[in-house]
Formats: sequence, C-alpha cells, structure tokens
Amino acid sequence: MSDLDKAIEQLRHCRPIPEVQVRELCLKAREILIEEGNVVHVDAPVTICGDIHGQFHDLMELFRVGGDVPETSYLFMGDFVDRGFYSLESFLLLLCLKVRYPDRITLIRGNHESRQITTVYGFYDECLRKYGSANVWRYCCEVFDHLALAALVTGAATSLEPTPADWVDTAVATDPSPGAELELEILNADGQILSRYQRPQQDGTDSESLAPCAPSSVGHSGPPGSGAAGSGAATQQGGAIFCVHGGLSPLIDSIDKIRLLDRKQEVPHEGAMCDLLWSDPDDIDGWGLSPRGAGFLFGGDIVKCFNYRNDISLIARAHQLVMEGFKEMFDSRIVTVWSAPNYCYRCGNVAAILELGEDGSNAGFAPRSNGDVGRKSDRGRMGPGRRYRVFEAAPQVARGMPAKKPAADYFL
Amino acid sequence: MDITAHFPLQADAGQSVTQSGFTITTHKLPILKAGPIEQMTAQLGITPPEMIFGDNGVTIEHKQSGWSIGFSAFDALDRVDKTGGSMLKVAYSSEWQKNRQHVHEDIKEVVKPFDWSYSTDFKGTTTGPPLSPSDAEIPLHLLTRPDPIIFFDEVVLYEDELADNGIAMLSCKIRVMPARLLLLSRFFLRLDGVLFRIRDTRVFVEFATRQVIREYVAREDTYDKVKSKLAVGRADVPAVMRDPNQLVPHMPVVDRSLESLTLP
Repeated sequence: MSDLDKAIEQLRHCRPIPEVQVRELCLKAREILIEEGNVVHVDAPVTICGDIHGQFHDLMELFRVGGDVPETSYLFMGDFVDRGFYSLESFLLLLCLKVRYPDRITLIRGNHESRQITTVYGFYDECLRKYGSANVWRYCCEVFDHLALAALVTGAATSLEPTPADWVDTAVATDPSPGAELELEILNADGQILSRYQRPQQDGTDSESLAPCAPSSVGHSGPPGSGAAGSGAATQQGGAIFCVHGGLSPLIDSIDKIRLLDRKQEVPHEGAMCDLLWSDPDDIDGWGLSPRGAGFLFGGDIVKCFNYRNDISLIARAHQLVMEGFKEMFDSRIVTVWSAPNYCYRCGNVAAILELGEDGSNAGFAPRSNGDVGRKSDRGRMGPGRRYRVFEAAPQVARGMPAKKPAADYFL
Repeated sequence: MDITAHFPLQADAGQSVTQSGFTITTHKLPILKAGPIEQMTAQLGITPPEMIFGDNGVTIEHKQSGWSIGFSAFDALDRVDKTGGSMLKVAYSSEWQKNRQHVHEDIKEVVKPFDWSYSTDFKGTTTGPPLSPSDAEIPLHLLTRPDPIIFFDEVVLYEDELADNGIAMLSCKIRVMPARLLLLSRFFLRLDGVLFRIRDTRVFVEFATRQVIREYVAREDTYDKVKSKLAVGRADVPAVMRDPNQLVPHMPVVDRSLESLTLP
C-alpha cells in the first residue's frame, strides 16, 4: 500500500494526516492542477456535486450513495471548506483522491476556497486548532489558487436508462411509455425511485424567441460549439454541460473568455473571476445588482442566450442552499445542486448529486431523425438526461457523537 | 412541473408544556421547501433569508384571559424594511461599484431593493389584552436563582450568511421554571467591516401574579469600534464576534422600551 493509499485510508476515518504529508500532498496536487485549464474538460458519465462545507460524514454518505472513487467519476463544484467541523479532513481527502485518480475526480473553485473567506468562516481556525500553526492552512490556500474555475462536461446522454429499482410510493409509479425518452429521475439514498419524468415530445411549435441574443453576431445559423465542445460538437445531440460554482458574469459571453483569465490568485473582489464564483440566478430580466451592493444577479434570458451561444444545454452550479438538494430554473437550463445535507447541522435540508449518463450507453436508440443531426431547435440543445440522488445527513452513529439536544441554560 | 412533489413531509415536532394556566409551545422543523418559500416571498414582498425556518415558532398562551404572544419568522420578516430606505452596503461595495462602472455602466438597477440584513424590531405578535408602557423592570434576581428548569427550548426563526459578509440571525430561547418564565428573542447582525446590531426582546411572566413584562433593547455600533474594544483583552476575537452574549457588554444601547400587563 502506497503512502497515498494509506493517507486516503486514514482520512476516510476522519483522522488528519501529519503536516509534512499535507505539504507533500499539496505540492503534488498543485502540479496536477496547474496542468488543467481554467475550464476543465470532463467526459460523461460523471456525477456532479455541490457544496460540502466541511461536513465530512455527509461526504462519506455522498460516496456511499453515489459510488466510490474511482468507480464513479466525480465533479465537485467548490465550497469544500468552512462552516462544518471537518473542513480539513474533507478537503484533504478530496485532494488525495485527486492526486491518486486525477482523471476520475475534478475539483473546481468555490468562493470559500479563498484566504479571506476561510479566515472568517472556520477553515483557518480549524487548521490552527488541529495543527497548532497556520502552515497547513497556507498550503491549502496555495492549492485553492490553482483550482480550475469551471468545467465542461461533454458526451452526456439526452435520456436516461430507467433505473431497475422499486418505487418509494407505488401509487405514483409509472413505466416509460415505449419510444419515449426518460429525461429525469429522482432516487433516494437507497436507490429507490421517488419520481420520473419523460421528455415532452417536441412538436416544432416552440415559439420562444431568442431576442436577447439578437444584437450579437451569432444568429440562428451561427456555428455550433463556439468553444463549447471542441471537436465533435456537431455530432453531439445534447450539447455540453457548463459547471461553475456561482454563475455567469456580464464580462463573460463566451466560454473562451474564461480560458483567458489569470486564475492563479486569491479570488478578487470584482471582475469576471469573482462573478463566476459569486453570482446567482434570479427571476429577473437581464442583469441586476444584488441589493447588498456587490455581486450580480442574472435572469433567464441571460442563461438562454449564454447557453445558445456556447452550445450549452445546461448550466450546473452550486453556491445556494436549496431544501430539496437541487433546483432547476428557467425551463431546466440551469440547476443548483446542493450536497450538504442538514446544512450547518441544523437546516434539516436534504442534499443531492446529479448523475449524467454517457451518450454511448444508448447509441442504438436514435432519439431524433437523421436529418436533425447538428440542427439546433429554437429550444437550443436538448438537455441531458438527469438522475438526481437525494440523501439525508449521515446517521448520528456514523459521526461518533451523540445527538445534539439543546442544553437548558440560565440565559438572561 | 413540480419535480419535488413526491418528497416525504416531516411530521410536526412541536412540544408543549402547561404551567399555572400558561401554555408554552415550540415548533422546530427543517427550513422551508421551494413551494412555501415562493408563497412567503409573494406575501412578504421581499426575498426571505437563505435559511428560513418558516414552520418554527414559540408561543406563550394564557387561555383563561385569551392573551397570547407568538414569535414566528413571517411576522418578524414583515417588519423588515421593504423599501430599501435603510439599506446597508457590504464593506467592499464602493470599491466594487467603482471598478465595475468602467465595464458595465448599463447595469445600474438594484434588483428589488430592501433591507437584506433582515434587521427587525419584532417584539412578538400578541392577541387579547394589550401591553402598555410601564416602569416595571424584569426582576433579574429572581432569574439568576438556580430554580429547576421544567422546559427549555431554543428555536431559530431565520438566518442568513449575507453572501459571506457576516451573519444575520433571529432566534428564540425560552425557559420555564416552577414560578416564572423567561423568553428571549434575539436578532443578531454582524456585517463584516460595517457594523454590529443586537436587538433583544425579553418576555417575563410571573405565574402567581400573572404579570407579564416585555423589554426591548437595541444595541448597535460600528464594526471597527467593537473590534478595537475586543482587541484590548486576550479574547479569541473571531470567536467573540460570532457570540452575541460576549458582544453585548461592548455595545451601547440605542433604543429601549418597557411594557407590562397584569392578566385577569
């Protein structure tokens, strides 16, 4: 067993590894990460995860539900640290897995992977407490600076293979009608089916306009995949899935512009890099300023335009707590994925991970007529088939600590 | 389509105790789901906080007189400024705005301005005979005695991380002793680099006399002033800045009121 495998084993038991080993690990991780572009290419199948926030035992539950690395390929969209009690163990485990299986796990940067934020929200204090010095925190921050800013998943199937499993509620059980595509499936932590949705039949009368894109040079006949999918874009029925921690930026209308950023720095307070890690979708038209006085909000038209221009069928992002673990918006053009169940050990929310299948898995099942290859409908690219697995916080016994009950105190 | 329609609902975890004719009930449930949040947004006219415990609450009820006081997230949020008139700005806002102007002067619209710090002066929702201004103070000496606590609970009503610019939190604590009870509803705001705010509402009930006293105390100071006071001692400053109990002595009172009522 190599030292790295031993470290993985130790971290899986939620035991920190020695400082010298952390230093070595961080150096190796930086060597790997520096080779990655600002936008990492990831092939489906892949499982996309949102915020973890140092909830180590829930990360273990995530791996139990979604499968272990390297059997399952993972993409984590940042915010590994802060808030929870085990930021250190969670981040170091993910980093070990990255170094051990670089092609099976992708880590992109969240707004908490920053010196300033971690000094306020727990990670810095945790490192100080567990090692007696800030060295480990410093090594980790240097790794943060090397994390990619976004990822692009290609080769995802537009429909799912129905999971052969029992329904939680047999009264709502439905089998996919013959010939129909299964677009969405929601499974619980035991792999049982909570619900299923077929893709509505396209009748060609989609009257949604692409007006917001009109001022640009890219029209309906524009070349597909302007930087989005690289080679083979024309044969991909589904378009790519753009993954980023926060959201879009008014400075970024094409994915190529992300590739031009100098990412190896602390997260700035403004600019494109900041926006990608901080912005939020909202039910507005166009761009808006957050009431807080810093940060952008973007509406459905912005998403529609961005996706069309970049040949993207879905934006997956994290950053915001959602009670159900995931939340699709704007006709399923964007989804928020949240992977920290019972956030901060008190919200009572469930978490979710998003599984995207591989296009090849249903190669024999032609979803559309041959004449449609490479054609974009007004809807843009057909979205990927999406399988959400929702899960609750790891049971108390797995944490090795008693259930928290408020202790009566003589407050005044 | 409501793709989350089939999620199981959690049963109400309410607990209750009745002492000398006063019934105290607390509800502690998970944060609201997407549907109820949309409903609340429409009813309030503002975006609710990130962690909204809309089903949580504390009530004290005196059935005989029809008096009650209740604390809930909705009623508290209904008292948050919805116009943006008292809107705060995060510490780096001016820097952000200045830099951004060169590139995106066209994006000027602040989306739905409101007091996103969720500062509330909520003192509880009452029914029955009203409380009126009074000089009667809450008898602290009766509350510092180690009387047995029959019932205790702590309930968070809402919490927001202010997009990692600090914390805003409204929570309620209640303890019921054989002869009296004390409830503390506390709004705590730390806006990093800008200010601290603590607004406490205390409700005291003496069972034998059926006297109810409500005290409201608001404290506020700039971030720098509080921080410089903390730096004098040997305290773990980041930890203290998360703990309103330790901040109270360092913050001046900016508003205070006392009310009371004797129930028939």
